[in-house]
Amino acid sequence: MKIVAVTACPTGIAHTYMAAEQLEKAARSLGHQIKLETQGAMGIENELTAADVRNADLVIFAVDIEVEKKDRFEGKKILKVGVGEAIKNPAAVLARAGA
Amino acid sequence: MIDQLKQLRQHLLTGVSYAIPFVACGGILIAAALAFAPLNPQSNAPDPGNVPVLMFLLKLGVLSFKLMLPILAAYISYSIAGKPGLVAGAIGGFLCNDLRVLAFFPDPGKQELSAGFLGAIVAGLLAGYTVALIKTIPTHRLIRPVMPILIIPIVSTIFVGAVMMLVLGPPIVGLMAWLTHELDNMQTGNAVVLAAVIGGMIAFDMGGPVNKVAFFFSAGLIEKGNCLPMGACAAAICTPPLGMGLATLLGRKLWSEEERDSGLAALGMGTIGITEGAIPFAAADPLRVIPCLMGGSIVASVTAMLGKVGDHAPHGGPIVLPVVDNRVMYIVAILAGTLTTALLINTIKALAKAQAAPEASE
Repeated sequence: MKIVAVTACPTGIAHTYMAAEQLEKAARSLGHQIKLETQGAMGIENELTAADVRNADLVIFAVDIEVEKKDRFEGKKILKVGVGEAIKNPAAVLARAGA
Repeated sequence: MIDQLKQLRQHLLTGVSYAIPFVACGGILIAAALAFAPLNPQSNAPDPGNVPVLMFLLKLGVLSFKLMLPILAAYISYSIAGKPGLVAGAIGGFLCNDLRVLAFFPDPGKQELSAGFLGAIVAGLLAGYTVALIKTIPTHRLIRPVMPILIIPIVSTIFVGAVMMLVLGPPIVGLMAWLTHELDNMQTGNAVVLAAVIGGMIAFDMGGPVNKVAFFFSAGLIEKGNCLPMGACAAAICTPPLGMGLATLLGRKLWSEEERDSGLAALGMGTIGITEGAIPFAAADPLRVIPCLMGGSIVASVTAMLGKVGDHAPHGGPIVLPVVDNRVMYIVAILAGTLTTALLINTIKALAKAQAAPEASE
């Protein structure tokens, strides 16, 4: 399954990246393809392209703040969770998204 | 209803996330300017007035602080309404620095009319929801292209400016003045109570609106020559992240691997005076964590007040040590607060675990 995800937290120094790492680990261990975009204090990194989004089966937002460039995801079904949830229990987040 | 409150919280946090670098940059520049300034023999306070390089740093820092309110309001509005919301939010927020920038009446007075952090939040929300509402009006395709860059910014800016100036601004200015006055009275009455209130407010929402009211109150008093409230504030600012970080080091079994990583990040943020480092812990388990954070911060602020710790810079944490009076007591206050938070949360966690264990085995 192809998954794309965006992570973002208010300070954007640590937890944005920890959530991305946890989701990536969990998705890989289940044998899924995943691409992570982080929206931290540095701005958008590893940006998802239109094609990434179009081809994705699942979209996950693990965010405590508003997602930047949200219009890329129009028409997609999105699971939105808090950053803390993705850090603490990434497997459950993936399960809820339907992976 | 709960969903809407969550949405609202997300908009506020988005604004805060863009404003944090301005507070941190401004605070540290001002702290640096004061740290290297010679002492003024009359007031016995650091005075960078005669050193051009330090004045340069000081003014840059003050500028960064002044930009914080417009950035906060602009991005709250942006979070609600997207790009068309930026202008009205930024201008509404800028007004909150001092309503007199719009003073068209003959005698604006010498008193600064600052609506502060609270005002900027209100301005940002007002701007965002106004623009979001305008966006829902159906428009002819000929004027549609000029809506987002011309019509919406102009209409919403006039509306937000007028409402802030005439309706919402004055009561918020009054509220802030009243709050400052009340805290000011307390300070002559009972310094320890004041310190406890500051400490509790700082830890309550970790960088949110309540925290900033206490912060700007304390920072404002530095100009008036009273550095003690800021000293209490500075000690309270860093103990939430430092305390959670220490807790994960002391009670390794109580915390998951991710939380221990999070704890290390929190220690780093605590050292440079960023209270927000404790947010992930508080977000995960608010009812247990926030009281422990407040307990630690209150211990830190009261200890600092009792030890007559003064802070000349509007910033907190171990990083401002060079501009603090009574440095030993400042360190003692931070250590005491950090230990309090760490021991409290680990005890509560251990008790909760012990209680949960028999239930789980049934």
